[in-house]
Amino acid sequence: MSKYLAVFKISFAQEFVYRLNFIMWRVRNVLQIFLIFFLWDSIFADPGRVVFGYDRAKILTYVFGLLIVRSIVLSTRTIDVPGDISNGDLTNYLLKPVNYFKYWFTRDLSSKALNLIFAALEAMLIYFLLRPPFFFQQNPAILLLFFLAVFLAVVLYFLMIFIFSTFPFWYPEQAWGSIFLLFIFTEFLAGGAFPLDILPPLAQKVIYSTPFPYLLFMPLQIYLGKISFLVGVKAVLIASLWVGILALILKLLWSFGLKAYRAEGR
Amino acid sequence: MSKNSFLMVLAQRLGMVIFLMGKLLRFGFFIFFLIFLVKGTGTLAGYSLNQTVFFFLTFNLIDVLAQFLFREVYRFRPQVVSGSFDLILTKPVNALFRSLMGGVDFIDFITIPPLLVAIYWVGKALDPSSFQVMLYILLLANALIIATAFHIAVISLGIITLEIDHAIMIYRDLVALGRFPIDIYREPLRGVLTYFVPVAIMISLPSKALMGIATPTGVLISFIIGAVALFAALRFWNFALKYYTSASS
Repeated sequence: MSKYLAVFKISFAQEFVYRLNFIMWRVRNVLQIFLIFFLWDSIFADPGRVVFGYDRAKILTYVFGLLIVRSIVLSTRTIDVPGDISNGDLTNYLLKPVNYFKYWFTRDLSSKALNLIFAALEAMLIYFLLRPPFFFQQNPAILLLFFLAVFLAVVLYFLMIFIFSTFPFWYPEQAWGSIFLLFIFTEFLAGGAFPLDILPPLAQKVIYSTPFPYLLFMPLQIYLGKISFLVGVKAVLIASLWVGILALILKLLWSFGLKAYRAEGR
Repeated sequence: MSKNSFLMVLAQRLGMVIFLMGKLLRFGFFIFFLIFLVKGTGTLAGYSLNQTVFFFLTFNLIDVLAQFLFREVYRFRPQVVSGSFDLILTKPVNALFRSLMGGVDFIDFITIPPLLVAIYWVGKALDPSSFQVMLYILLLANALIIATAFHIAVISLGIITLEIDHAIMIYRDLVALGRFPIDIYREPLRGVLTYFVPVAIMISLPSKALMGIATPTGVLISFIIGAVALFAALRFWNFALKYYTSASS
């Protein structure tokens, strides 16, 4: 346990090596939120307007919630894994007395902690600048369910990145391609660009049968009270099921991948 | 250089297919959302569905053209950090040209013709006059000049600070704010996006010119901003070159 604590501390400190880089990354997050915020702000310019089942307060809370939930769920260091595999650096970790998955999960947690601190500060700043109406969830049971959904989303995203990262085992020169595809799916199918329930029922049905909505959309739906407590519990159970399924898929892919691994570049 | 760049991409066909698929998916998802959104709300900041789609297509054309031409910028920082920029400076080719356009992106090139067809198709439905079409093309060229100035500024900043990986991505995020008509933004952001970071001039103004709603003053100011931006970026490049230390080489 102490070694992973050390990894956490070192990884946290590493984020400050390129401070300007980190600040730029946060600026990018704020700009992306600006785009979504002003889009919805313009659509809901009339405070009484209700579109796609959202009023102004709820849609703008969704956008602010995105800033926070994205920083927890989507901030990650695990995107370096495909590079490790394709250039042979994975060998270093296989020879060390560390669990490779726990190592990267710890690094992810450190990245999330730092990003969360900054996202909370940015959300406060944007809130005071733009003064949007905000929906505060006060039901403790719903809040608890929301935190559980966010935790499961963190695990789900970690598993997804690892699954997509196994691609270079077979195609070492394609370290970045599969992750690029995952990012695009995540942006649109997880609800990062817009709430999924504004889409036609058939499109929603297709998207809900994938694990992506459980990354951002479902936790935020639970927070906003857009779904009942029981439906929220069902969403959390489905997310847990996806964790189990993806963990199994990863286990299989990893064991096949290690057999195909040629440590090229070492 | 461009031939080499094309051959390199063709040598890795799987990568090309993955990235092309990703770019098409991103475009498809977004346009699907846009159509569905504007159909549901009626208009976006007073613009019809056709007009909103045209803004989005124009944004894509400028973004893709800039990525196609200036892909080498994304590979510039490692050259400065490792000192291999020496090899460019000592060759009988303009260092700025080589650093900006030394590796065009074949994958983006593939997406340009269908995008042009879509712009023609959607633009035709807006029923523009020949003068409006000519103004649109001229303003697109001006947008590319501003994009060039941005890219020159980014690589110059890279020479001075070494630390900026995200600068080019911030430029792209800023330009992405022009995906929608600039009218959706509130002041003072709208003013910033018009004059300080001229996203409005790059993306929204050409589209508005085609729709016949651009003011002559706006058009004149946009050309002045384009010329000033390019001049300032070139001065900045010359200034930044003096800070290149050739470290690690």
